Amino acid sequence: MKISRLSQIIAFLPLAAVAGDWPEWSGTPGRNMVSNEKGLPTEFAPGKKIKGKDEIDLATTKNCKWIVKLGSQTYGTPTVSGGKILIGTNNESPRDRSKMGDRGILMCLDEKTGKFQWQLVVPKLAAGKVNDWEFLGICASASIEGDRAYIVTNQCEVVCIDMNAQANGNDGPYKDEAKFMTPPAAPGQPAPPTAEVTPKDADIIWRYSMRDELGVFPHNMTSSSPSIVGDKIYVTTSNGVDWTHTNIPNTQAPSFIALDKKTGAYVAEDPSKISTRILHCSWASPASGDLGGVPGVVFAAGDGWVYGYGMGLKKEDDDVSYLEELWRYDANPHEYRFDQSAMPRKYATSEGPSEIIATPVFYKNRIYVAIGQDPEHGEGVGMLSCIDASKRGDITKNGAIWTYKEIGRAISTVSIKDDLLYIAEYAGMVHCLDAETGKKYWTYDTKGHIWGSTLVADGRIYVGNEEGELTILAAGKEMKKLGFIDFPSPILCSAVAANGALLISTQTHLYCFAEGAKPLPMELPPAAAPAAK
Amino acid sequence: MHPLSLILPACAAASLLSAAEPSHDWFPWRGPFQNGRSPEHYAKNEFKSEPLWKIDLAGQGAPLVIGDRVYLFGYRGEKGNLVEVFACVEAATGKTLWEHTFRDFLSDNIYDRYAIGSPGYDPETNHLFLMTTTGVLMSFDMEGKQVWENSLMENVGRLTFPNGRTGSPAVDGNVVIINSISANWGAAGPAANRFYAFDKKTGEFIWASQPGLRPVDGSFTTPYFETRWNTRVFYAGTGDGNICCVNARTGAPLWRFQLSKNGVNASSAVDGNLLFAIHNDENIDSSDSGRMVAIKLPEAIPPKQEDPTKTDATPLPPAAEAWRFPIGAWSSSPVVVDGKVYQMTSTGNVYAFECQSGKELWHLKLSEDNLHSSPAYADGRLYIPFKGGATGPGGAYETALFVVDAAKGEVITSLKLEGEGEGAPAISGGKLFINTRKKTYCFQIGTGAITVDPIPAPVLPKPGPAAALQMVPGEVLLQPGQEAKFAVYKIDAHGERLGLAENVKWEKFIPPTAKVKATADAEFNAEGALVAGPEAKMSAGAFKATSADGLIGTIRARVSAKPPIAQDFESFAVTEDHPSETGTKFAYPPLPWLGARFKWEIRELDGNKVLAKTLDQMFFQRAITFIGPVDMSNYTVQADVMTDGNRRMKSDVGVINQRYLIALKGNDGTVEITSNFERLHVTTPFTVKPNQWYTLKTIVDLDKEGTATVRAKAWEKGSPEPEAWTVEAKQTHGHTKGSPGVFGFSPNVQKRVYIDNITVTPR
Repeated sequence: MKISRLSQIIAFLPLAAVAGDWPEWSGTPGRNMVSNEKGLPTEFAPGKKIKGKDEIDLATTKNCKWIVKLGSQTYGTPTVSGGKILIGTNNESPRDRSKMGDRGILMCLDEKTGKFQWQLVVPKLAAGKVNDWEFLGICASASIEGDRAYIVTNQCEVVCIDMNAQANGNDGPYKDEAKFMTPPAAPGQPAPPTAEVTPKDADIIWRYSMRDELGVFPHNMTSSSPSIVGDKIYVTTSNGVDWTHTNIPNTQAPSFIALDKKTGAYVAEDPSKISTRILHCSWASPASGDLGGVPGVVFAAGDGWVYGYGMGLKKEDDDVSYLEELWRYDANPHEYRFDQSAMPRKYATSEGPSEIIATPVFYKNRIYVAIGQDPEHGEGVGMLSCIDASKRGDITKNGAIWTYKEIGRAISTVSIKDDLLYIAEYAGMVHCLDAETGKKYWTYDTKGHIWGSTLVADGRIYVGNEEGELTILAAGKEMKKLGFIDFPSPILCSAVAANGALLISTQTHLYCFAEGAKPLPMELPPAAAPAAK
Repeated sequence: MHPLSLILPACAAASLLSAAEPSHDWFPWRGPFQNGRSPEHYAKNEFKSEPLWKIDLAGQGAPLVIGDRVYLFGYRGEKGNLVEVFACVEAATGKTLWEHTFRDFLSDNIYDRYAIGSPGYDPETNHLFLMTTTGVLMSFDMEGKQVWENSLMENVGRLTFPNGRTGSPAVDGNVVIINSISANWGAAGPAANRFYAFDKKTGEFIWASQPGLRPVDGSFTTPYFETRWNTRVFYAGTGDGNICCVNARTGAPLWRFQLSKNGVNASSAVDGNLLFAIHNDENIDSSDSGRMVAIKLPEAIPPKQEDPTKTDATPLPPAAEAWRFPIGAWSSSPVVVDGKVYQMTSTGNVYAFECQSGKELWHLKLSEDNLHSSPAYADGRLYIPFKGGATGPGGAYETALFVVDAAKGEVITSLKLEGEGEGAPAISGGKLFINTRKKTYCFQIGTGAITVDPIPAPVLPKPGPAAALQMVPGEVLLQPGQEAKFAVYKIDAHGERLGLAENVKWEKFIPPTAKVKATADAEFNAEGALVAGPEAKMSAGAFKATSADGLIGTIRARVSAKPPIAQDFESFAVTEDHPSETGTKFAYPPLPWLGARFKWEIRELDGNKVLAKTLDQMFFQRAITFIGPVDMSNYTVQADVMTDGNRRMKSDVGVINQRYLIALKGNDGTVEITSNFERLHVTTPFTVKPNQWYTLKTIVDLDKEGTATVRAKAWEKGSPEPEAWTVEAKQTHGHTKGSPGVFGFSPNVQKRVYIDNITVTPR
């Protein structure tokens, strides 16, 4: 192997998480939900909500460093880099009262104090639920690299923003922030006034609209967290079905693309014709790492297959280039796709096939990922696959090292630590398996739907559920419950450990816990002006 | 409430009793008190887990029980064979006495979300009412003979949604009322949550009411009726997050109370001066989701809003909220009994509160999930179905039915049923009837003698002096050469009918607030009939009636094209300045077309006037517009169609023939036949070049067995018509009639589609 190739591979190897920042979804390019943080608090309390208010009674918290009020729905697990936190939410606790109404919000907070720094404000597509469901906000996690962050917004676009926002001027070629933040006119209504750009607004470096450029038809929401690989970022487009949940309005639009991270220019798209087979939508974030001796990205798609792509490109013409497909793997067993009479099983039935929403994880030359569906579809059969990442071609028959079907639908990403794999399923169970063999060690029922993923840190497993309960289990072959903490709002994000602190986001609040911390006064969004008499 | 001394055997048929007397009947879907409470008490409360019977009929609403018969809205079959069913079965055995089946057409319903609703019943006429998921509202006699039908999709622009929420026709006085989102015409053209009232005997339109704001969501709440303020009113949730109070005689919006920024889909119930409501979305005044509230009913109907341009109901002040509790539910309706209110939540809890204080009495965590199911109450017990009962790895996804001691909040027993529990129980004669998404069950819940609480007859408003006129029908659709007659009633200030008016004079009328100053091309004759002349043009407008004593009322009328239809758009004056394209002129589409304005426009293209899909609003990226009468059958629809586009994005364009949609799919490169994608979906590869006109020709053949064969051919305009059909699709029990229409779908409002030279020709 040539040295240059070797160094290229090393550069793309999934790094074990190191103590410190959590700059992208799952912390590292390989997406393993494990942190090497130590000294995380063993006991902590989120405090009680003051009745009728958004405030928390800080005297009732424990080991709490700060609490930040978010919107009313929060799905974007925070990312942490350079002393700043980015988190996606909605605009139901508006920080800028000149930008009211339903919006996607990416909030930047100071890591030490939780103080609000600036925000990216994204109007809705105004298409109703089909393309940009009301009040879901920005659901993705931003990927941060130095002073740049990459975020997929509810407008079906990829936006590169300046971590210093407007404070150091309006950088980059993109200067249309005012227009960007102005919503379209409602039917029969005059156009709203152009938004004002303030120092608390994001500085957009570049913007790539997957709708305008590629004809992507996002289903319900556009969401994925980009993989940064060298000078490119890889993004899931969220192309999907329409109202009918059968018709795919644009079967020709790509499901997965690569952009130039400096300019936002189109680089390539998937050659796999995934969009002709989408069951619902593609929302899974990609992962990057070693694919049998070559660097690559893995995309778990809306057709229920997993695709491994190399770094090579095939240029079709001036407008279209294709990624290099190394392998593909159907993450649904045959019996989920077809019934005993060999008839296709219907999607969104409990026995039928699923897409993939969880993120594939690289670990020791293998890929781990489970199938699942939109929580609105309820519970159903699932499967976790351990895939040999070095194979080539259609590896459905020979690529699985093991599969595990004692799990229902899961939209959670796995955590693998010391060859033990932990995964949550939507129905509320947490499973511990041998990562090498798939052998089950234990399961634990949290008795609430789980949307987020397990986080393994400091010898513990943290996982929240729809009931607002954070369960803490001991990492290890023996099931041991360490704690159970009741939050005042559902927890649909994953826990994050960064720089000695534990971040827990509920639907409405972000909490920072650290051993021995005393809470800073809670900074609330500005109050509404008194109503005119 | 103490039980009456009247004792009836458990099997007694009570339908002959008047509504004021003790009855075992369970109607409407929330029971005789409209709040989930059964009037029955049992010698012995005894739940037997072995069902008395079960039948293979799925449902997601509540049965009605009238006498010894159960009336079920359900569905059966799968994929292309799935049909909705209206069935009458024996309460004692489950034996089917009669049934009707209905096929979906042109709906967005997905994942077999059918029969999310219940039948309605009117004891005066002894008629049943049903609205299918696709919006066909029908009346039947008790033997299953259809009395009338009204296709609301094709007649008032009722929309369907993927969630399939349908609801229950609600009967009060002379009308049957449905709640839905519709995009009709004129002032009722923009999509809004409207209540439509039809004459319960004839199905004729009487009034439409739009008490709320622009909806964010659909809503299918069932109106709760009562007499208050000497007015017959109803309360219902709407898709804009309000609980609305509407005059049940006239549809006049009276007041509203907004609690959510999204829809309210749980029906309400009342205890004294408090109304209970719940939702599970964004609150109007806090940044968390979901709220249960008690709304203090006002002492008087609040005055109308001062601003005459505001047509929504008067908002009640926030102080009208007596109490709130931070729980949420999507569409589970409360039970109210003896000063207590019981409520299921979206995360599988059940709560009990004191009605007046809002004090929590108990709560139970029984499941993880709940969507549509609601509890019912009888003799101290709550019967609570859940979507999923127990869960585990790989999952057991079966319903649990819980029997709970309502006083203690303790589970007495529970059992698993087949299929997800999305319905609500009906209780009658010591039996409980419940649907799941696989079965309908009957369980014994009480044995021995049954005592029955009285069901008070409604106190009706005292009539006052005549104040206005109400016409039946309140709106008509005429073809050239047709006429319509009207019954003109005097009504008092509260909408109570006082008798027929005489010597009524009619005149064309443009409401002062009308944005479109249009009149219908029809005239009233000396006999009081509205006549569209043989050459009447497509048009629409209002007429005002004035009685001899000066009372006033209005109707609306449309004049549509008469088949055979031929429309090349050349007669339209393309003179309007386009609001979003400087320098572009356009004409609005014909006013009688439902929901067409702002979705379609007539433009000049290469010296030719054509129908073009608008690209201004993401909300309007897709349009289905009916252009002919609903009772048409066996006709040919032909049109020239074209999509703009490039290699990455094109659009879809097509026509509707007898409830089948035939489209050229630009991006997919196919010709497609559908009528709800999960029920019928046949495609043939067909390269659709952007900016190339194609001619699309479609027919529907019905054979003697009722199988429909839909045939379509497409060819480049100007080239010879090919011999062979490009695509064919068969459907057993196919659609036998339906309005012709046009279809355009510009994904992301990026590429415009065009339609020209439409002909609809009877065969």
